[in-house]
Amino acid sequence: MFLFQQKRLRNAPYSILIIALILSSLGFFTLYSIASQGGGSGVNIFNKQLIFFVIGIILFMAALLVPRHSIHQYIYILYGLILAAVIIPFFDDKIAGTHRWIQFGLPIRFQPSEFAKWITILALAKYLSDRNLKMGSIKILIIPFIIAVIPFIIVLKQPDLGTALIIMVPVIPMLYWAGARPFHLFIVLAPIISILAAFHVLSFTIWAVLLAVIIGLSKPELWRGVLLYFGNIFLGLLAPMIWNSLKPYQQNRVLTLINPDLDPLGAAYQIIQSKTALGSGGLWGSGWKQGTQTHLKFLPVQESDFIVSVIGEELGFITILIMLVLFTVLILKILKLALDSKDRFSSLTLIGIGSIFLAHVFVNSAMTAGMIPVKGLPLPFISYGGSFLLTCYIFVGLIMNFGTED
Amino acid sequence: MLKAENLVPKQRFWAASSVVVFLIIILIGRFFSLQIYQHENFSRKAESNRIRSVTLPAPSGLILDRNKKILVDNYPTYILYGIPSEISDKQKNFNIISQATGINSDILNKNFEKNYRGRFIPIILAKDLTIEQLSCLEEAKNQLQGIVYKQFPERFFSNTIRASHALGYLKEIDRETLKSLGKKSPFKYGDLVGGSGLEREYDNLLQGEKGIEFYEVDAFGREARKITEGKARIPHPGRDLHTTLDMDMQRILEQEFRGLRGAGIVSNPKTGGILAYLSSPDYPPDLFTGLIEEQQWASIIGDAGRPLLNRGSNGTYPPGSIFKMIVMAAILDQDLVKYTWETTCRGYYEFGDRVFKCWNEFGHGAVNLEKALVESCDVYFYRVIQKFSINKIAEYSRIFGLGRATDIDLPSEMTGRVPDRSYMNRRYGRSGWAMGNLLNISIGQGELLVTPIQMVVYINYLATRGNTPKLHFIDLPSDSYEKYPPVYLSNNIWSFLENSMRKVVSSENGTGRAADPDIPDLVIAGKTSTAENPHGEPHAWFIAYAKKGDDMISLVLLVENGGHGGETSAPIANKIFAEYFRDESITMTDK
Repeated sequence: MFLFQQKRLRNAPYSILIIALILSSLGFFTLYSIASQGGGSGVNIFNKQLIFFVIGIILFMAALLVPRHSIHQYIYILYGLILAAVIIPFFDDKIAGTHRWIQFGLPIRFQPSEFAKWITILALAKYLSDRNLKMGSIKILIIPFIIAVIPFIIVLKQPDLGTALIIMVPVIPMLYWAGARPFHLFIVLAPIISILAAFHVLSFTIWAVLLAVIIGLSKPELWRGVLLYFGNIFLGLLAPMIWNSLKPYQQNRVLTLINPDLDPLGAAYQIIQSKTALGSGGLWGSGWKQGTQTHLKFLPVQESDFIVSVIGEELGFITILIMLVLFTVLILKILKLALDSKDRFSSLTLIGIGSIFLAHVFVNSAMTAGMIPVKGLPLPFISYGGSFLLTCYIFVGLIMNFGTED
Repeated sequence: MLKAENLVPKQRFWAASSVVVFLIIILIGRFFSLQIYQHENFSRKAESNRIRSVTLPAPSGLILDRNKKILVDNYPTYILYGIPSEISDKQKNFNIISQATGINSDILNKNFEKNYRGRFIPIILAKDLTIEQLSCLEEAKNQLQGIVYKQFPERFFSNTIRASHALGYLKEIDRETLKSLGKKSPFKYGDLVGGSGLEREYDNLLQGEKGIEFYEVDAFGREARKITEGKARIPHPGRDLHTTLDMDMQRILEQEFRGLRGAGIVSNPKTGGILAYLSSPDYPPDLFTGLIEEQQWASIIGDAGRPLLNRGSNGTYPPGSIFKMIVMAAILDQDLVKYTWETTCRGYYEFGDRVFKCWNEFGHGAVNLEKALVESCDVYFYRVIQKFSINKIAEYSRIFGLGRATDIDLPSEMTGRVPDRSYMNRRYGRSGWAMGNLLNISIGQGELLVTPIQMVVYINYLATRGNTPKLHFIDLPSDSYEKYPPVYLSNNIWSFLENSMRKVVSSENGTGRAADPDIPDLVIAGKTSTAENPHGEPHAWFIAYAKKGDDMISLVLLVENGGHGGETSAPIANKIFAEYFRDESITMTDK
């Protein structure tokens, strides 16, 4: 057994770990700069993150060493447990206005929704790999969506829109990877796009035309096509009502992206300051610990959501570029491992993890650069925040575990 | 176990990889745009984000008296500011401040609301904090987030004199003035500018040049670091204002006027310099320096004595008998009566169907020119004025400076009123007035109105035989005196006027006897007046000049509703002459 493990570990894709460690180092480098000037939220974020990093490495080993078949065997039980865990905080007092946290009476709190991310991926992977599914049928999409939607709704209710959306992210890529028809996935995605497009007359018009073209090219039965088309249009018209059910702060975040002058000291203020920090950094940056926007606290939540702005200001575009290339290499590497993987469970798990990394990197960077609404998603390996760092290193462990041939 | 084989087609791998690369390229493009393409733009923005200029107040120049004694000084006070965004519990903070300094927390609250101009902009909560109050605050500093203080040079006034109407006050610049000055003006909202008196007249000279410092501030507007490089500028204090005022003289004048309403002005006829200037009642000179308390305001605004009115330059009064020298000069200059011409005064004079009274109801008996002036016989003037036209009287009045501005260096003055034919026609209609009105004017009553400062010019003309420099507070070199238009009269007339006025003070029957302090070689020429007015008791005037050797001073005293000038005003003149001339002889013998 140990011999076997040893041999297996020798073949594991260590490049994944190396990239993760380089990115973590960049994170520590940046957090040190922030902490050195008394930044962050009062605690020494550098030291605290270091503790989480050590725990993360331990969890990484665990995720690496646990036999794949055991995970495969018990994943549904784990899925049940994690559903219970995300519900538990609802019985506790709110922390920072949400039910995200479980408290152990320790100085460190635990956020179970983070673990829901990888457990949901594994449960999905098991479902999609176990049966000899007829992937050509649209009905095959139903169960995987249910698997993801249950934790999605619970986490959304906490409320934590960011994490909730991330739980949903792997579903489409994994279904695609498992062989679902792209048109079917399009049908699933169409309503979401309809809603988003409904906020602007022009975008909705373009979408309505595009929808007609795609439905036309896919040649479904006439009544289905008509139903699909008008169902989506109807949903788009319904969007304003859905909009009104959003919390004011969520509305605010979307609104200020559309018009940043709306609220210079709210969400738009954050975007403006973030862009200013990035822009003033230039190619080489203002130098480590030299960022005025960072250290004079113009930058909001600089240690987590806006850490890219700090990197951009102090270390310049060149570092941002290297960082993004490293993330790209990491994700493409995961895709390659998924392609080369012999069994479908491992392959699908890798795809799920890859899609989550991509979502985090894209949403966080795009938000920092003012391309999408301010959405509290941290940057993998780099942002301050214990629970998510643990998730990332569990991911690394799983990738190396599942990416290694027996 | 893991039976299901991985059958994923290669094109799905390529499709997924393309999506990844596509999204990352979008990101790289965006970062490139922000960090390289728009780099300069954002650098500038970052710079202005963090640099804040802070202006440093410059102390105003001092105001000094003619002996270089300081009349208005500066002393460092502290201004307490609150920064709204940093104050977590306003009421608690205010209570602590209130306990430490004794300032009522209601006042702090009121100022907070009144001066609020934004979350990050410091609000003035209290002014005039002393070092003691500050040290009490320092002890509680840990509990006072968002409360800061700054040193500020504030006006400090001598405690022996007030002279508030002459010196004036500083006040915060108002919005309209600020707007009208435009963007280039060095003033900012909240700056102090001269509000009245010399502070206003010589604001440009007294105002210093503000300094500027640059601070690096954080996102909350807190000053994080002082920036030493760059275009910082230290404040330059304003220039000192040397005045002709005499602190001792001013003190005596204020002492003598205590409890009286009116005006007193002492000047040097040879230089035009004002030695003492008082409008009574006045207000404490530091009234406007601190944040004024509403009660205090109300008591000053509502005061029936109108302490804010500058009676010296802006109060208009009938001159009464002091006007008689003008009439006398006019009739002599026009050669209308002889010095020996006499008339009889029975205490009244019948003119048409009206009876005009003399102030002396028992009558003066036989009155000649000199006696008419010395004893101020009204009947004599009723008689001689009939040889005259109203326009002629108006002309001579103007020659002596009535009806026109004196150009004294105060921000505002009234010109009074010299009635002439066109004025009377306008007011009463062509047939609505007659010689009777002229009879009233001949004794300085009726439509005639003068300011005390005009009377200073008048007495100085008499003292200098028609050649006197313009009145001024600022101490000028003697070659830069501007003169009033000279009054040309024959030396006989000047001598007659002076001799008569000397007798007013020195003769047995003179009305101004009380003004004579009985100092050897001191010559005093004066005239009293008891000016009837519609507001009750007559106003008591006394104007005079006194000379001893080359030294000469003149004074104009007016006590509103003071009764007889000879009884109320002349004794004040006595004290002033005594102080001025006796002091001088003592100091001279000391040396």
